[in-house]
Amino acid sequence: MSGEKVRATPFHARAASANRDNAWSARNGVTLSSFYDDAGDEALAARSRVAIADISWRWRAMIEGPRAGEFLSRLLTRDPMKLDPGSALKALWLGDRGGVRGAGAVARFGRESFQLISAAPDPEWIAAAASSFALVPRDISQTEGGLAIVGPYARATLAATGLDVELEPLTFRKLFWRGLDVTLSRWGEHGGYEIWCKPDDGVVVWDRLIRAGLPFGIAPAGLAAMDLLDIEAGIARPGRDYAPAREAFAKAPTPLALGLETLIDDEHKSFNGRDVWLAARTTETRRLAGLEFDGDTPAPFTPLLHDGKAVGHTLTSAFSPALRRAVALAQVDTAAAQPGTVLSLTLPSSMDVPESRKDTARVVSLPFLPAPGQIAP
Amino acid sequence: MSARSYDAVVIGAGVSGLTAASYLAKAGKHVLVVEARNKLGGLSETAPLGEGFSVPIAAHALYALDPRIVKELKLARHGLKFAVRDMALVGLRPGGKHVVIARDVHATVRNIAIHSKADAEAWPRFRHELFALARALRPLWWDAAPAKPLPQAGREKLDRLGRVSAAAWLDSWFESDALKATLAFDATAGIQPFEPGSALLLLWRAAQEMCGLQGAAAVPFGGSGALASSLAAAARALGVEIQTGANAVKLLVQDDRAAGIALASGETIAAGLVLSSLSRRRTLCGLAPAGAAGLETVAALCDERKTVGQAKVLLTLNALPAFNGIAVPQDARFVVADRLDSYAAAGAAARAGRLPDELAIEFVVPSAADRALAPPGQHIVSALVRPVPFAAAAGWETMKVQLAAKVVAALEAHVSGLARHVGAAQVLSPADIADRYGVGDEGFDDIHVLSPWNSRTMTPIPGLFLCGAEPVSAISGRAGRIAAALALRAEDRR
Repeated sequence: MSGEKVRATPFHARAASANRDNAWSARNGVTLSSFYDDAGDEALAARSRVAIADISWRWRAMIEGPRAGEFLSRLLTRDPMKLDPGSALKALWLGDRGGVRGAGAVARFGRESFQLISAAPDPEWIAAAASSFALVPRDISQTEGGLAIVGPYARATLAATGLDVELEPLTFRKLFWRGLDVTLSRWGEHGGYEIWCKPDDGVVVWDRLIRAGLPFGIAPAGLAAMDLLDIEAGIARPGRDYAPAREAFAKAPTPLALGLETLIDDEHKSFNGRDVWLAARTTETRRLAGLEFDGDTPAPFTPLLHDGKAVGHTLTSAFSPALRRAVALAQVDTAAAQPGTVLSLTLPSSMDVPESRKDTARVVSLPFLPAPGQIAP
Repeated sequence: MSARSYDAVVIGAGVSGLTAASYLAKAGKHVLVVEARNKLGGLSETAPLGEGFSVPIAAHALYALDPRIVKELKLARHGLKFAVRDMALVGLRPGGKHVVIARDVHATVRNIAIHSKADAEAWPRFRHELFALARALRPLWWDAAPAKPLPQAGREKLDRLGRVSAAAWLDSWFESDALKATLAFDATAGIQPFEPGSALLLLWRAAQEMCGLQGAAAVPFGGSGALASSLAAAARALGVEIQTGANAVKLLVQDDRAAGIALASGETIAAGLVLSSLSRRRTLCGLAPAGAAGLETVAALCDERKTVGQAKVLLTLNALPAFNGIAVPQDARFVVADRLDSYAAAGAAARAGRLPDELAIEFVVPSAADRALAPPGQHIVSALVRPVPFAAAAGWETMKVQLAAKVVAALEAHVSGLARHVGAAQVLSPADIADRYGVGDEGFDDIHVLSPWNSRTMTPIPGLFLCGAEPVSAISGRAGRIAAALALRAEDRR
């Protein structure tokens, strides 16, 4: 988004008044609260009560036309042609040489109308690819704002606002909500709900949710808290945990190395990069693993050793307030990816601790924690 | 209706397609060639113009035909006979001081000495270096898998030449603008002689062999169309079926492999191997199902726009007036290019969509050597004009009139009285040639000149091969011969 102005989201006015430390980040060209008060508390609120988070930064594009289904079927690793209108699926898109270019959800709005939702925008490439199918994707990232409602009381909060919340995961519905046109969806990551609304309605939507959520202890959650939930859910994120395969001949990263192979449907016979993926799945030696630490969080790309041999490196790490320990995503060799394996690493010296220290990490199965929505209230 | 089934189907009955089909048939394959037009030959087409004239629509001389094809397919036995075996390169200059570059080095040296003593001395050394280096590079350009690597010295020179422009290379050898402008014409196939990599074109041209002579240009009796006729006869003798008026509109893909083609008539033809003479762009963006060749590859190919190309001007003459200061026109190709510098300005104008003021023209008088091409006493002139815009700002229809007038005026300057004798004229824009033959719509990239054959011939779709993917656009047949070999090898490995 270089060269472009950083925009405010439709919820900015309310986010600004809730943001006590004036802590802001930019993501995909929009300004977002890093945290409102304390990221750990916000993550805990999402896990134990209910939290709302601004997700207007997600890249969204409508792909509509007679060949939209054919195109998305060619693009994505699962077949969106099999979707009924009103439902969604999660999938990857690969480059021509099999590297993961992007990951996201695709929702079917109508017979010839789909929406692609992703954390990492890839507009030029998707538009170029779509042009072969006589399609012009329409970017709606700025024409709709979105709030995620996450937590065990998300459903109760929404019900209290008068919304019809009878919605299965990976479905969505367009609703008329006391004067507002909104889309209520469940294609997000944390088992919650998402509300998509017109930019002008953002403040009203925010206020209705906060008011309805008060009895459940609702809190706004910033980017840091939401990223923490991602790590706890074991989701490798483009741009944070891996560089998407944006080069024409990039074979890396493979879906296996990112733990994203479950987003590939073996029954789907013709998607871009499939032949290379079929070859890579037997040769890929890296896997995504979860690590738990007794000590401090290691920096990204800290080498991991097993029996004195380097077997991989860490990706993002964070202190998980729910687990009360440091956790990290890591890329390690298949042999070292078994839960229970103990890996060693060296934490460098710092101003607080003048000498570098040896530490150990335990490989655990992902996700670290179930999605917050799946915890019974 | 059950679909017809073949081992291999070849799209396009040009020299490349017919060559590929012949070699596949020779290896025992059951082959069908489909040609969209009602006529064989593709770029080597010879077509009637006016009453009793036959003109070369695209190629007016052959300079890159693979001698092994002539031999292995016994083309001489199938009627291929050359009217001109070695054309001299004549740079027409004002005042009759022409640059005549012939095979005879001594005669050439004497001629160059008129323009520059130093250049005359340099010529034998330049020619020796050019021909020796070009010969050393033949394995790269002639074979799918070179038997032995290039010699170290050759590789170093090649690395250097791959980055310099033809203009810079010629400047390092010669001082005479007349000589340099004449030689530079061959470095303008889709690229300008000032662009890096254009020196490779001179080298590639010098590596070719016609009628046993290195770097020669030749014309068969009956024009270049006769080559296609002899190839078609050879192909039929080998059992190849050729179907004209059969326009392939779709490539059939099954389990991510080429499985045949669909014709405009609706008929489908099943074949495990599909070889396309069309350009990579037309094949992968037009014929293949959308996205089958990889979304990124196809998007990049479709995005590529050719800006500069070459046009063809064909003239019939009631009589052939004398050339100022030169005797016989039948064994020569004439280049009209005033200055080396004018190529740069012309290239810029063409890229901007305008007709350049100073054009570079190569013309031949095919009827001088082959009397059957025109009625007695009358003649045809075939002129290749470079560079011209692919898409004209003012529209090509008005520009064609301007272009014809410009070419006639340029020729009139050296052949006084020619303008009075012009009968019919035909102008083909770059887009006309591209649409007629399905090739030549891709931008020139010097990387293709040095890339290995399989990177040009193979496609991301297994079973689909490009049999016209020459390193430099030319009538050669080599791409067909190599595509057939690569297709057979891929078939064996399955």
